[in-house]
Amino acid sequence: MKPGMKTEPVFLSGEIYCEEAVKLAAAVFEGRAKVRVIKAAGGVKAEISGGENITREFCGEVLNQQCRIDLSRKNYKIASLIATKALLSAAGEKTAK
Amino acid sequence: MTPKTAAKRSAKPRSAGLPYFTFRRMADGSVLLSNDAGRTAAVSGKDFARFSAGRLGSGEPLYAELAAKGFVREMTDFEGYAAACSKKNAFLGAGPGLHILVMTLRCNHKCLYCQSGALGAGGRGTDMSRAVARKSVDFALKSTNPGITIEFQGGEPLLNWDTLKDSVLYARGRGRELGREVRLALVSNFSLMTEEKARFLVENEVSVCTSLDGPADLHNKNRTFSGGNSHAHTARWLKYFIGRAAKQVPEYRTFTPSALLTVSRYSLGREKDIVDEYLRQGLADIFVRPLAPIGYAKKLWPRIGYSSEEFARFYRNSLDYIIKLNAAGKKIRERHAVIMLEKIVNGGDPGYLDMRCPCGAAIGQVAYNYNGDLYACDEGRMVGWEGDDLFRIGNVLRDSYRKVMLAPASRACAAASSLESQPQCSRCVYKPWCGVCPVYNYETQGSLWGDMPSSGRCALSLGMFDALFGLLKKPASAKILKEWVQK
Repeated sequence: MKPGMKTEPVFLSGEIYCEEAVKLAAAVFEGRAKVRVIKAAGGVKAEISGGENITREFCGEVLNQQCRIDLSRKNYKIASLIATKALLSAAGEKTAK
Repeated sequence: MTPKTAAKRSAKPRSAGLPYFTFRRMADGSVLLSNDAGRTAAVSGKDFARFSAGRLGSGEPLYAELAAKGFVREMTDFEGYAAACSKKNAFLGAGPGLHILVMTLRCNHKCLYCQSGALGAGGRGTDMSRAVARKSVDFALKSTNPGITIEFQGGEPLLNWDTLKDSVLYARGRGRELGREVRLALVSNFSLMTEEKARFLVENEVSVCTSLDGPADLHNKNRTFSGGNSHAHTARWLKYFIGRAAKQVPEYRTFTPSALLTVSRYSLGREKDIVDEYLRQGLADIFVRPLAPIGYAKKLWPRIGYSSEEFARFYRNSLDYIIKLNAAGKKIRERHAVIMLEKIVNGGDPGYLDMRCPCGAAIGQVAYNYNGDLYACDEGRMVGWEGDDLFRIGNVLRDSYRKVMLAPASRACAAASSLESQPQCSRCVYKPWCGVCPVYNYETQGSLWGDMPSSGRCALSLGMFDALFGLLKKPASAKILKEWVQK
């Protein structure tokens, strides 16, 4: 770890955040921060090491990912219908109108 | 067919039922509404409060307007709504129409904002061979899109003239054999253009596009050319191609050349100079494009970049000036506005791949690198040049068309650019006409999905849409804007 970098633990409640959102946020922060994701009772614990404000920014990204996951679940049918239609048409496969 | 309504019209006044729609409170206090069919309504804050609370009576004129546009659930004409959605999204069934062939990575310019990963003119081993170019043309012709455009790009494509010339002839021949409509386009800085090359391009119906960043001092500051005056070359050949287009001949169609403006920090405050320069050069369109902090421009961002607010101001000032010129009888249009108006006013799809849902990556365009590597888009190719091949979807010499279209990166881009899965976009009033860019998101925010509330591209788009809808509210400017896309 670079000198001056401190590790900050943060607890993310399972009532709001799923593990997938935390792991995706950790992947987004690869190269910017070191993030360790640990399962904890009632949620997930993340240990973040990086520059100033990194924990706050990381939590913002977890929230972004969680909102996206929730929305993707809600709009799954229409979103996958559109993407599948576009991809299969481009690939030359017939799709329903 | 008679439009069907969900419920019979009642003579009794009743409150408005609310279907799904999005809205935005505008700077002037009004509220803009839009729905998935791309229909819009601008209402006062007071009326919006009554409408959303279900207190707008069916006898009111506003009720009738909102009902006709699909904002009242029980009055919605579902066939009409579906037809509008279908027209707007017709591209979903088309396949890739734009095929960008990178003739070479070499370039004789060193533009401040270049994203293309261009090498110096003397660079070696980065020219597309004839064999790869021909394979690329064959691959493009496998596209399910009935009318494809093959765009020759670089670097500076004229540095690889022999391959370019061969590709033009080959594409024309194959297009004829297969009975396919093939449009050919060249993007060049014109510095290596000669009379012979220009004549060949015109006679083979190749449209040309160049960069023009404004008057000579500004253009040359942005577009460094050690070989001389970049602006002078641009102006000379624009004049030539405009002249040729004015004298159409029966043997072939001659296209009017077009030019692209890339706005750098040095452009800010010079809106009038730039627009006047376009008029001086005889161009009927100006395409005001923001800079993207990717590629070479990313490293130079503190020097040449700007905030989204600064760009929005620049865009608004440019549009205001262009509209003023139009009102005075001078004909010049802003291309970005034209593209958006085609969607907003005519409900069509003008084929602009950057603002689509899903974006044009692979399903709308394919970028062919000099060595035959295929990328989901040209920006994705530039990321590849920096050593990250996330957006690579295959190789023209090795992979089948189907495999490329369904490559992991093609699917990832289609999924990531779905606005239905973007927390902010799914509720944005500009959703029917907007689109996100997974490459931009990846380069600036570290993921394909990005985070729209802090995305510079989202802020730029919001600023441009706000400017356009602000002008559409004023009858005089709305008349001019609508004339730009009148069929």
